[in-house]
Amino acid sequence: MSEVEAESPFDGEKAPASPRADLITAAVLFTLGVAIVQQAIAMPRFVEQSGTGLTAPGIVPGFYGVMIALLSLGLGLRAVGRGGWAVQGVATAGTGDGRRLAIAALLGVLYSGVLVGRVPFWAASALFVFAFTTVFEWDQAPERRLRRIAEAATIGLATGITVMLVFENLFLLRLP
Amino acid sequence: MLDALNNLVGGFAHVLSGGAVFHAFWATLVGIIVGALPGLTATMGVALLTTLTFGMGHDVAMLVLVCVYVGAIYGGSRSAILLNIPGTPASAASTLDGFPLARQGLAGRAMGISTSGSWLGTLFGTMILALFAPSFGEFALQFGSYEMFWVAMFGIVIAGSLSGGDPLKGYIAGFLGLFVATIGQETNHAYARFAFGNADLAGGLGLLPVLVGVFGVAEVLSSMRGQAVKAVASKIDSVIPRIADVTKHWKTILRSGALGTFIGAMPGLGEDIAAWTSYAAAKRASKEREKFGKGSIEGLMAAETGESACVPGAIIPVLTLAVPGSAPAAVLMAAMMIHGLNPGPMLAITAPEFIYQIVAMLVVADMVKMVYGLVLVRPLLWILLIPRERLMPIVFVLCTVGAFAITSRLFDIWVMLGAGLVGFILRELRFPMAPLVLGIVLGDLLDKNLLRGLVLSGGDVTPFFTRPISMGLCGLTLLAALWSIPGLANLLRRRKPSPG
Repeated sequence: MSEVEAESPFDGEKAPASPRADLITAAVLFTLGVAIVQQAIAMPRFVEQSGTGLTAPGIVPGFYGVMIALLSLGLGLRAVGRGGWAVQGVATAGTGDGRRLAIAALLGVLYSGVLVGRVPFWAASALFVFAFTTVFEWDQAPERRLRRIAEAATIGLATGITVMLVFENLFLLRLP
Repeated sequence: MLDALNNLVGGFAHVLSGGAVFHAFWATLVGIIVGALPGLTATMGVALLTTLTFGMGHDVAMLVLVCVYVGAIYGGSRSAILLNIPGTPASAASTLDGFPLARQGLAGRAMGISTSGSWLGTLFGTMILALFAPSFGEFALQFGSYEMFWVAMFGIVIAGSLSGGDPLKGYIAGFLGLFVATIGQETNHAYARFAFGNADLAGGLGLLPVLVGVFGVAEVLSSMRGQAVKAVASKIDSVIPRIADVTKHWKTILRSGALGTFIGAMPGLGEDIAAWTSYAAAKRASKEREKFGKGSIEGLMAAETGESACVPGAIIPVLTLAVPGSAPAAVLMAAMMIHGLNPGPMLAITAPEFIYQIVAMLVVADMVKMVYGLVLVRPLLWILLIPRERLMPIVFVLCTVGAFAITSRLFDIWVMLGAGLVGFILRELRFPMAPLVLGIVLGDLLDKNLLRGLVLSGGDVTPFFTRPISMGLCGLTLLAALWSIPGLANLLRRRKPSPG
């Protein structure tokens, strides 16, 4: 993007991550890179089969692990150069509502990870859409809450039944 | 030449037979809606629709996915013009002049410019694809393991350098993607890498569940975390494109078409970079620079033409090298593999007619897009107003179906959730997603060709650097990597003689 003269109107959203966040990320990625290399070295080499050991399963991931470790070392050094070591505070870079994010993630995991596979798919989907919509619309105009809950239930049921009919009957796919 | 013409006519006859036109209409409509809705991207649209195409023949499936891709890239401009929010990242440049035009009461004219620019852009790119892809495919037949290794490396490096503004993070994302692709049984000895005794992990991480997670689940989380979208232009003037807007800016259209197609053909760059580069080039060349950002017709035309020309451009390397030019093209390539097609150099030998079928599909999608551009204004306005609280859970349900459907493993749903969470965190930390996707898609290609090359040369690495095409590709890769080092790039720029 360096050659582009025009500025994105969403620069606020694309603000770079803080040096602190980069430093922590670099540490995590460096550890990952080293772990990949360690696992790659521990893999069998199959010298007796190939004769040369050049088809050893660890060669390619080992190379990736080295690259990830080296590049994250670079990221870490750059973050330190930009004051990442000294700066204290929040490590996240983005903007937005963390509570909303946590609720969305929790509902998503409850649906995909717990309900799906245990409850009929249409019912799980209907319940998830209903709960998601109701929770996120709860604070809007309390006088119309009952109506919104009814709408959420309708949307949930419609989604569950439509997805089941379309995917299973029309496109002949298996649902969880 | 006559063969090419025959194949082209055959391609159109094939694509326009049976109920294909019906599929083109519904799929383009789905694409436009997906593209127009902020939070849903073209990549996600193609990934989710891939699920629906499992039961279809490969020709119908490809038509559906090409239509979704073309429609989604175009659809993004609707919300860019009416909401000042790009429906897809590709439409970000369109907000600069599209929204000011809408505020001036010219929303309809802006959409007309978007429709004509996008239509011409896709047509231009498709023409280039038809002209050059077959001969480039034949040239690519000379590529052996050494060359294919460098093609994959070049893709990762160029995508890492240019797709996110921070090359270091781009490279890391690319190598993370490559690493993800190594999980599971490898081909030489069927050894399960990074499986830790788990049978599901030994089977590898499915491409589609990972992509649906990175682009679907992560988008849902990002969307729910951010601020709600407000304000939409309520009055719309005529959306019929004006001939004068096209004839007056023919140079801009040609320049943006060429730039968009070229950037599309570069591995992993994609539509957003094509749009920004076309916009910047139009601004440099314009006699009315001061109007850019304040409702410039030329600016909007350039952005729309560039991003839409990029779509056929991004399919060129898919068909000729099995290397995708953009994130949605990566998913399209994955879908081709799922449907038993074998994209890459051998396509010119095994199914030369398929390249022309893709040309026909792109033209059909472009025509249908034009029709919707003229008639689908008010219904889209209504769709744009659906609150995310009601839309996103439905998207999440579709993501779950998409992740599960290909192999019917509940494990894939967990993969989707994990990939979504990791994708969301990486996005928040400003890691670009295009190199990650490219890494996942190219992982197998790189892995096989590196090992095969080493075996063929008996462990000697010199053929990777001394064979003519290999040497050229290696040089390009190194140049791209060196250019991304800030100090070095500045040094090279300073050495350039200043004009005048």
